[in-house]
Amino acid sequence: MQAAQTRDIPVLEFPKLTALKTERWLVGVHLIVAFSALSLGLLMGPFQAFRRAPALQWDIPIFSYYYQALTLHGVLNALVFTTFFIVGFSYFVTQRTLQRPLASIRVAWAAFVIMLVGLVLAAFAIVTGQANVLYTFYPPMVAHPTFYLGLTLVIVASWMAGGDIFFTYAAWKRDHKGETVPLAVYATLTNFIMWITATIGVAVEVLFLMLPLSLGLVQTTDPQVARIMFWFFGHPLVYFWLLPAYTAWYTMMPKQNGVRLFSDGLGRVAFLMIMLFSIPIGVHHLFTDPGVSEVAKLFHALLTFVVALPSLLTAFNIAATLEWAGRKRGATGLVGWVFKQQWGNPVMAGMITGMLIFIIGGLTGIMNASFTLNLALHNTTWVPGHFHTTLAGGVFLTYMGIFYWLMPFLSGRKLFAPRLATAQVYLWFIGMLTFGLAMGRAGIEGAPRRTDAGAAAYISEAAVPWLNLTAVAGVILLISSILLYIVILGTLFASKKQEKADAEPPIDTKAPADDPSPSIFENWRVWMVVIVISNLVMWGPVLIQALDFTKGFIIFGFHPNAPIPLK
Amino acid sequence: MHIDKFERYWIVAASLMLGAFFAALIASTIVFGVHLPDPAGRINPADVEDWTNQGFATPGLRDMGDNHYEAHIVAQMWLYNTGDVVDGVPTVRVPQGAVVTFNVASKDVTHGFYIEYHNVNIMVIPGQISRATVTFNRPGTYRIVCHEYCGNGHHNMNAQVIVEPSA
Repeated sequence: MQAAQTRDIPVLEFPKLTALKTERWLVGVHLIVAFSALSLGLLMGPFQAFRRAPALQWDIPIFSYYYQALTLHGVLNALVFTTFFIVGFSYFVTQRTLQRPLASIRVAWAAFVIMLVGLVLAAFAIVTGQANVLYTFYPPMVAHPTFYLGLTLVIVASWMAGGDIFFTYAAWKRDHKGETVPLAVYATLTNFIMWITATIGVAVEVLFLMLPLSLGLVQTTDPQVARIMFWFFGHPLVYFWLLPAYTAWYTMMPKQNGVRLFSDGLGRVAFLMIMLFSIPIGVHHLFTDPGVSEVAKLFHALLTFVVALPSLLTAFNIAATLEWAGRKRGATGLVGWVFKQQWGNPVMAGMITGMLIFIIGGLTGIMNASFTLNLALHNTTWVPGHFHTTLAGGVFLTYMGIFYWLMPFLSGRKLFAPRLATAQVYLWFIGMLTFGLAMGRAGIEGAPRRTDAGAAAYISEAAVPWLNLTAVAGVILLISSILLYIVILGTLFASKKQEKADAEPPIDTKAPADDPSPSIFENWRVWMVVIVISNLVMWGPVLIQALDFTKGFIIFGFHPNAPIPLK
Repeated sequence: MHIDKFERYWIVAASLMLGAFFAALIASTIVFGVHLPDPAGRINPADVEDWTNQGFATPGLRDMGDNHYEAHIVAQMWLYNTGDVVDGVPTVRVPQGAVVTFNVASKDVTHGFYIEYHNVNIMVIPGQISRATVTFNRPGTYRIVCHEYCGNGHHNMNAQVIVEPSA
């Protein structure tokens, strides 16, 4: 049905310097919801640091119960903000790159509405204190049914968005037989294939384990099985956040610097490898679980090291591209190009500081994945220290870099106070580096993560100065957050209207003709088979070992407030 | 698809580096004997204090002879039952040099079991027995903390290992 429709739609010429009305609203509302959710989620961050710092031990405003604030922080920032931002951004990239509207604009709007309803349902449960289960919601702890229902709707809607993008690509492919799809859309496709595969795990967990338990339809569950399903999803989740940032580095940063990407082909290899290797490695989140064998842990550790390779490829490709850009501006010598970057431009500053902090995020990630070394790190504050340099560092700073050209382009208004935006980026960079360092060191000294240290019966003396340092980082990040919202509100309400944007969006509508990539890269059937087989091999035995075939599910649910089973 | 000469060198170097890292991990297990938790059996949380599970019915330390000890610990919202309490803190008292195998089981939700400055870091998942073996070489008091969120009183859930110096 959709295919028939798209054939009739003429290929649109997207105006270079203005946004079409449809794209302005569709992409715009996703960003508005994303940044509205983020405003509350962000606020919880610094105040948790103030709460945990032994020198302060302040109560968190609005949500004074620590674990409620933590749930809100995780769900709003890591699940809601990211999903809305990524879906909106992916629509924009797909339409602009392929120069055609989405296969179905109705499906896209339906997906948005479902996602919004999901957000409201989940937020209701959290805000009313009925879902103090953190964003990993490990059973047998049970939250209000609307929490699980809300998350399910967000996931289902993201499938609809992914499907819409695929049909758009398929229609483009029919009109451009034998052509290679531009890298930005290639990256978006790998991201959604990975995402849809991975979310099957959490969807099964939520629909068949958590929701029935929460509704009282069943009374028992199995926490080990649920954790396995969650982490089938959990690791690709972090790549789902990362790939849009990589998309900006690979396909937009070169254009914003007036150069081409160093190697388009190896860019494709990187995205392909991440799509294939980000799922069959998730047991590295279960290294200390009693119900998973050490052999499975070793194999997943091995493949985790393989998935580090595309990021190392990225480091070379992007650095080489930036070097070209620097030399084009007249840089000489071995490192002269470093100083010839657009350090004062909020768009480039966001992306480059994102790349720099992501080096630390990547290295600490390899340390986490290091099998036995994980014993020293697991569930200490080291882990949030790590993922604040990846998600809240490299990914978020790059999203800021995207946002600072995308928002003016969509709204048709000049970016408000660009210097403030640049200051926001650097403050965030410094704040998050400090936070990562402080959390990492506190973790080495034994400070547990996800713990209301302000009320704790114990605190390791050696961790005290580092926990206090996280509060200093919190101050810097709070200032940066305030600047971000001044820039957003300023751009939308106090900035000059512009007839045309200052620059056209950094989108390549064609793959490089002089260096074609092997066509197998776009043979999605082959890669789907590889994904299915590799995950059956890597996850099948893990799941079978965890299932209790004689007794079934025997673990009763619990409310986080009382040690009484919910019978 | 063209691949630049330097990029090829980079790929080889990066692969060798990752290979070396992985070899180091294998060495940590085979040469130095550091292990991640492996399945150690199942236990129904409702039966943790049942007489049939003798270890967990009477939590505490047992001397297995030859400097080896076995500890059974029950984790529950929001405390550890180690069978011994010192100054209000659940305690495991061992002599210096003791090799202790910890067996931990949960009565309710998922907990953590982490001993600071030692290679003991396990999830305590209801339905599973969590097991870890460690040698206490240095005298002192080491905190045991629950490092997985387990509800309201999570931040109060802790215990300690007191390693008494050998005479």
